[in-house]
Amino acid sequence: MKNNIKVQRAIQNLTQQDLAEKIGVSRQTINALEAGKYVPSTVLALKLSRLFEKPVNEIFQLEQGD
Amino acid sequence: MKTSYLFPHRFILPAGIIFIISLLSLVLYTTSLNDLGLSLNTPVFAIMSDDVIGADPVYFGTMENNIIDELLILAVILSGIVLAFAKEKHEDEMVANIRLQSLAWATIANYGIITFCYLFIYGLPFLTVLMVAMFSQLLIFIVLFRYKMVRFYNTLQHEE
Repeated sequence: MKNNIKVQRAIQNLTQQDLAEKIGVSRQTINALEAGKYVPSTVLALKLSRLFEKPVNEIFQLEQGD
Repeated sequence: MKTSYLFPHRFILPAGIIFIISLLSLVLYTTSLNDLGLSLNTPVFAIMSDDVIGADPVYFGTMENNIIDELLILAVILSGIVLAFAKEKHEDEMVANIRLQSLAWATIANYGIITFCYLFIYGLPFLTVLMVAMFSQLLIFIVLFRYKMVRFYNTLQHEE
């Protein structure tokens, strides 16, 4: 699964630390998410969706093989 | 998401100190200090006991026993459990994920080692294997999880 959290974060002008604090995870988790090393839970995906005011589908996309 | 089964983060340091001290004492005691005649004989309640030297077997009765090793094992296991299952400073779902992975690998590694020892170690030394097996999984898990958490925290460097 790939995501464009980094892009969305840039649009909102947030640092990894800001984003982490807003959705209640550690900065390292945001880092791992952006690097595609970690697939978040539904709860976390919905929190990101609410924060960015974008549907989940626009932030996360399935890749081939998923 | 709240996890209810983890101990508070502030317990990590004291539990870690007790764990290391009691583990080292246990190793020292069972390997060398045993010969120094250091003992703490106390009447204890036994569900079942069968003395190798020929004392009568005891079922649901009291008997004399050196309780130093019992106390040390108790300290190792209690502090080990608290140390292994304490919350991280920033507990989130990725930490929970790393914890689960470490636990799975620790279980696999532990049973690998036990199987290996079962197949290739015989006689009295096998008693040592059984003794170590009592807390080896906990130990492997703690080391593995700490290592993974250190690596996780160090990903901080490459940002933006």
